[in-house]
Amino acid sequence: MSQETDLTHLETPELLEKIQDDLYDGLAVEVVAGVRELLRRGMSPYDSLTQGLVAGMDVVGVDFRDGILFVPEVLMAAKAMKAGMEILRPLLVETGAPQIGTMVIGTVKGDIHDIGKNLVGMMMEGAGFKVVNLGVNNDVTKFMAAIEEHKPDILGMSALLTTTMPYMGIVIKALKEAGIRDQLIVLVGGAPLNAAFAEEIEADAYCRDAAIAVVTAKQLMAIKRGEVAL
Amino acid sequence: MPESTTLEHTVVLMPSGRRGRVPHGAILLDEARALGVELESICGGRQTCGKCQVVVEEGHFAKHGLSSQADHLSPAGSREAETCLSQAIEGRRLACAAQVLGDLLITVPEESQAHKQIIAKAATERVIEVRPTVRQVYVEVEAAALGEAGGDWERLQRALYEQWDLVSLRIDPSALADLQGALRAADGGVTVTLWADAEVLRVEAGYAEGVYGLAVDVGTTTIAGHLCDLRTGKLLASKAAMNPQVRYGEDLMSRVSYGMSEPQGVERMHRAVVRAVNELAEAATAEAGISPLDICDSVFVANPVMHHLLLGIDPVELGRAPFALAVSGPVDLRAKDLGLAFHPAARAHLLPCVAGHVGADHMAVLLAEAPHQQDELMLVIDVGTNAEIALGNRQRLLCASSPTGPAFEGAQISHGQRAAPGAVEHVRIDLDTREPRIQLIGQEGWIEPGSSRLTAGSGRPTGICGSAIIEAVAEMFLAGIIDADGRFNEQATDRSERVQFEGRTGQYLLVDSNSTATGRPIVITQLDIRAIQLAKAALYTGVKLLMGQLGVERVDRIVLAGAFGSFISPKHAMLLGMIPDCDLDRVVAVGNAAGDGARIALLNQDQRAEAERLAGWVEHVQTASHPDFQEQFVAALAIPHASDAFPHLKPSLSGRRAGPVARRSRRRESVSPINER
Repeated sequence: MSQETDLTHLETPELLEKIQDDLYDGLAVEVVAGVRELLRRGMSPYDSLTQGLVAGMDVVGVDFRDGILFVPEVLMAAKAMKAGMEILRPLLVETGAPQIGTMVIGTVKGDIHDIGKNLVGMMMEGAGFKVVNLGVNNDVTKFMAAIEEHKPDILGMSALLTTTMPYMGIVIKALKEAGIRDQLIVLVGGAPLNAAFAEEIEADAYCRDAAIAVVTAKQLMAIKRGEVAL
Repeated sequence: MPESTTLEHTVVLMPSGRRGRVPHGAILLDEARALGVELESICGGRQTCGKCQVVVEEGHFAKHGLSSQADHLSPAGSREAETCLSQAIEGRRLACAAQVLGDLLITVPEESQAHKQIIAKAATERVIEVRPTVRQVYVEVEAAALGEAGGDWERLQRALYEQWDLVSLRIDPSALADLQGALRAADGGVTVTLWADAEVLRVEAGYAEGVYGLAVDVGTTTIAGHLCDLRTGKLLASKAAMNPQVRYGEDLMSRVSYGMSEPQGVERMHRAVVRAVNELAEAATAEAGISPLDICDSVFVANPVMHHLLLGIDPVELGRAPFALAVSGPVDLRAKDLGLAFHPAARAHLLPCVAGHVGADHMAVLLAEAPHQQDELMLVIDVGTNAEIALGNRQRLLCASSPTGPAFEGAQISHGQRAAPGAVEHVRIDLDTREPRIQLIGQEGWIEPGSSRLTAGSGRPTGICGSAIIEAVAEMFLAGIIDADGRFNEQATDRSERVQFEGRTGQYLLVDSNSTATGRPIVITQLDIRAIQLAKAALYTGVKLLMGQLGVERVDRIVLAGAFGSFISPKHAMLLGMIPDCDLDRVVAVGNAAGDGARIALLNQDQRAEAERLAGWVEHVQTASHPDFQEQFVAALAIPHASDAFPHLKPSLSGRRAGPVARRSRRRESVSPINER
């Protein structure tokens, strides 16, 4: 689909579908052109984000869960998403569009693996969240400082080793002691984890993969904002 | 040749061909040594051990320009005759007793050659020179006399100095306790077992032959022990058993966790592995007709966590960055101190570790494969849950570990299983019909679909093991069933009903349900392929980062070590993109190289020093935190790779039936919503 398509001839629903297809295929230049065309037609930045980019990334998430798309394709899609976001972000701030949410994410102390966590970060960005990625080997002090600075809605923690995952419990305990546990949605993930472990350390949810992390984050955010009855 | 004033004779020693002039009446053993032919001797020239036996070749040998006769050696005395009779070597002479009286052509039989060489294994023909750390010598100690000062240990020390040049010796308490009894029993003649020519481990009455050692590879799942005769280097018995620590955790990190969460966990795991080694020693010595008490030396190789648990050290630090080892250098201690039921004075040696994920087992692999002695650029990969990688040559050697996960061992795969009888171990897929042929572990030959061997009942496949998964994925790629990105190609359903789609997710039917032992079909799913892609990309990325660090574009030789490594088809591993491009003839599987390395260290003390030097010299690269890791990893997920070329695969790749890869179709209408959990 590299042939030049004159976007102006497309009906808006077709244009939205094309942006989603281009996002799926990781075509950053085409995504940017599509977003520009939406804005030219007078669509609000917020609607362009949710109906174009976020809707497209939802499909990417589903196919990633099913193994149809894999890490390289998802990264390409996330890059295309980011390119589109760069146009929209200043406009979103300007128009005072509702914030979808902020997430601080990091791999816990003693653990240096971060590809899975980076993927979660990108998918969350794809879903419209602001993501602060702390990288690897984060102790309580680093997490607390980032929470202080960025005031996130969500804290995401990752561990690839059985030996490092208990540290998530230590961070959650520190959140409680600081009296800020209830202000945060805590999501945990990583190869050796499971739902029972998440429950034991009193995280809000275990997320098996990046796609599930996005869905869980959205659901819990809706509950937090009182949009959904418990 | 001019007549010389002092009478000399020509002596030629075979098979080395060394020759020289020796004075009339000289002792053959001394002259052979002077000519550079090392003959073995335990008794130190006392005509007791029979180890320096030689054969006199009789006749005129024009080639050597001499006539050799039996009576060109001094006649055998009664002691020599007795020894030859008791050892059933009549017709041979003891070089320590024989004087040279004329020209001689002497054959030194292999069993008399000191520093024997043994072949470690047929595949690589690695030669081990036998120079054990623990050896025996025979000495005659003067009797104690009334009124004479000094003890028997001091008299033994003097005898060892005078007869063997051994100085500054220590003695193990158990040997000291046995000393006087042994001396009195045989008129002062004793056989002394020495460790590193520095410590007396054992004193036996009279001439006593037999010193044994155990080389042990403590793996996460399997422990293997190799019982060796330390004098001949001969492998007497090999035994393997499950590591009993498995019950405390399947993989390394779960064991570290067990130690963290259970107050007695470390002690329990330590005792379990020691008990298992004792049982192996029992079994191996029983097979060789000796006792575990005859084991005087032992060498252990293990990954860092197993290494620490064997020593009773809590491996907690190995479970988290920066993965600090309690000790990285070699460890020498008394086997008794670990709880090993060998000879009470027996020693244990642990090879050094390099880093938190690169342990003594990898050092053993390096000893066995010796990349540091090659000019060519060698890549050594020990495939397991953690793959250890070494790359380099005599100039520079780098090593790293890559977290491949358990997919290569059949875990995380829908129908995966460990390599055991009944498992599919080889797979070929016809490029055109897309029909599979399989081979099963424990059965000969290829089996076609619908073969009576499958339908008849017995010997049906139970699952698919790691080596077969690698082959299957590579073959599916060649047959166009999956694309280079690992996704099932929807067009591939056209020629084969084995390519099946449920919704938009593909799978390949390898064995249908009425041909398996379980009654369920054996299929390879899209998620199985993803798991294999993750594992192979982790391995390839580790290799690529080392290549980058070394500044090389290609390797000359690839060695696949480890039990699993020996079953991998090199071509398929390369097609999959597990290993970089290389001449396929120069990709070899070497089997259990860690066990071979342990034997090398058991039989050769210089190699222990070499391992220590190597552990300090090899450069460890931390790959997981490397800035390029993610980018390299993502490129390595493709089959065989997103950008790297594989010229040596050209013949295979050019025959590939690539399906048309259209723009990725996505059908949003069929998408099911993601449900939490």
